[in-house]
Amino acid sequence: MATVSANLSRPQAAPKAIAISPGRMFRTSLGIIAILVAWELLHLYVVNPLLLPSPFKVVKTLFALLQSGELIDDIAASMRRILVGYSMGCAVGIGLGLLMARSIWVNDLLSPILEVLRPLSPVAMLPLVLIWFGIDEFAKYFLVSYTAAIIVLLNTAAGVAAMPIIRERAAACLGANERQIYLHVILPSTIPHIITGMRTALGFSFMAIVAAELIAAENGIGYLIMQSRMLIQVDQTFAGLLTLSALGALSDVVFRLTLSRYGRRYQQEIFNV
Amino acid sequence: MLAMEPGLMPGASAANAVTPASADVIEVLGVGKRFRSRSGKATSVFEDVSLSIRRGEFVLLLGPSGCGKSTLLNMIAGFEPPSEGRILQDSTPVLRPDARRTMVFQDVQGSLFPWLSAQANVEFGLRMAGMPSAQRTSVASRYLKLVGLDHAASKMPFELSGGMKQRVQIARALATDPEVLLMDEPFGALDAQSRNVLQAELERIWQATKKTIVFVTHDIAEAVRLADRIVVFGTGPAAKIVEVIEVDLPRPRVPTSLEVARLAQDIGTLFSRFALHAQEGAA
Repeated sequence: MATVSANLSRPQAAPKAIAISPGRMFRTSLGIIAILVAWELLHLYVVNPLLLPSPFKVVKTLFALLQSGELIDDIAASMRRILVGYSMGCAVGIGLGLLMARSIWVNDLLSPILEVLRPLSPVAMLPLVLIWFGIDEFAKYFLVSYTAAIIVLLNTAAGVAAMPIIRERAAACLGANERQIYLHVILPSTIPHIITGMRTALGFSFMAIVAAELIAAENGIGYLIMQSRMLIQVDQTFAGLLTLSALGALSDVVFRLTLSRYGRRYQQEIFNV
Repeated sequence: MLAMEPGLMPGASAANAVTPASADVIEVLGVGKRFRSRSGKATSVFEDVSLSIRRGEFVLLLGPSGCGKSTLLNMIAGFEPPSEGRILQDSTPVLRPDARRTMVFQDVQGSLFPWLSAQANVEFGLRMAGMPSAQRTSVASRYLKLVGLDHAASKMPFELSGGMKQRVQIARALATDPEVLLMDEPFGALDAQSRNVLQAELERIWQATKKTIVFVTHDIAEAVRLADRIVVFGTGPAAKIVEVIEVDLPRPRVPTSLEVARLAQDIGTLFSRFALHAQEGAA
């Protein structure tokens, strides 16, 4: 029963086979301490302290921002945009992906559009989105949904295509009709791919929202980072970046504990073959 | 003959009630299959195949790879249409797959539903037919017991060995109580030991359930061991039925017995003669 989490193809995926052992805790802590020491030494002796603040200063700034409530507001703004945009994007991506994979018409109609959009990163789309939708909230929702939808759609369609044809045939000769095959065979067969797509899309949603907030927002983590740049408050820049990583890691953990766990039943082929 | 008793429910029960007088359950009438290659040239896999399968008969389709025996089985199942000719079950044309003919595939990994337990896999067809849960459970348990897997009902497919997965698939195919069981080289991917055990089991299950079985193989020994009748296909392309052999040996058959071995040898000779012909034809 070897666990192959590498198949989930996400760099941030923690290797699940390795339990948290004291040895591992020690090595990881050592790594963190080494980074902090190196950072402090760089700050003290090598780099201009203005460009690289001490890690302790960064933590202090982080707490000050938390206490003033400013950071909480920014986190709330960014997370709201991600949640709204991401949910819409996933819904569109899953729906269209399932349709595309089953209907030649939908597939052939959408393929050219998808081929054009696929290489366009959220950052590349940002100017257009700002022209079309202005700088209000909808522009941000749109950008995040767009990012998530394309990733989820491609994964969903690939998942349907990857299902062995004999599974569908087996269901058909057991008496399942077209609708039942869709619901009870194709959809569950595709769930691992959908979950993989959704998890990748979550990471990309963070990238999209920060890009949008850097350029056009009055709040949010991206705004916080950009503002600190204007004021050359590098400690605040670092605080913003740290918040981003923490939020990204946290949302991935939440994702793993909820959706991935629920979907595990459908991922036997990934986890257990 | 086709008039139904008033009050008979449509669906599975009615289909069972209308039992035609004919002894043939499946009729293959002048069936051929052509594929169009990329260059646009039509290649015939086999042509003008006619075959009647009697109710309760155990028929083996035996032939070398590429002779189209699996394609024929897929057409009997209704998975793909014949290029020419017709296939009938109880005198009505087979146009699409349905639960009167269920297929047991060689690739259990692809064919079983990996997210369902052995029990739930066997229940699948019954669930699709809308059978209530309690009844489903008892029917599925009965078939799992028949294939000797009652102890593993709650196991997931990945927890089962290849032979056990194939048993689940057989139970699943039987659970919907089809007229005909179609088997596409079901034991081809198993080790010799499991294959031997499952052949014996299948013979027993067949005798217990009285199902019609159409079984595809390229293994002569398997054919001789299991068949009432062996339909021997020649080499493709444009393969034909070259011989139909009635096997009238007592059951249960012992693969090492003299009669079984002798018949297998005869068919082997037949095979090599045809392979030789095919080579000469090609030269």
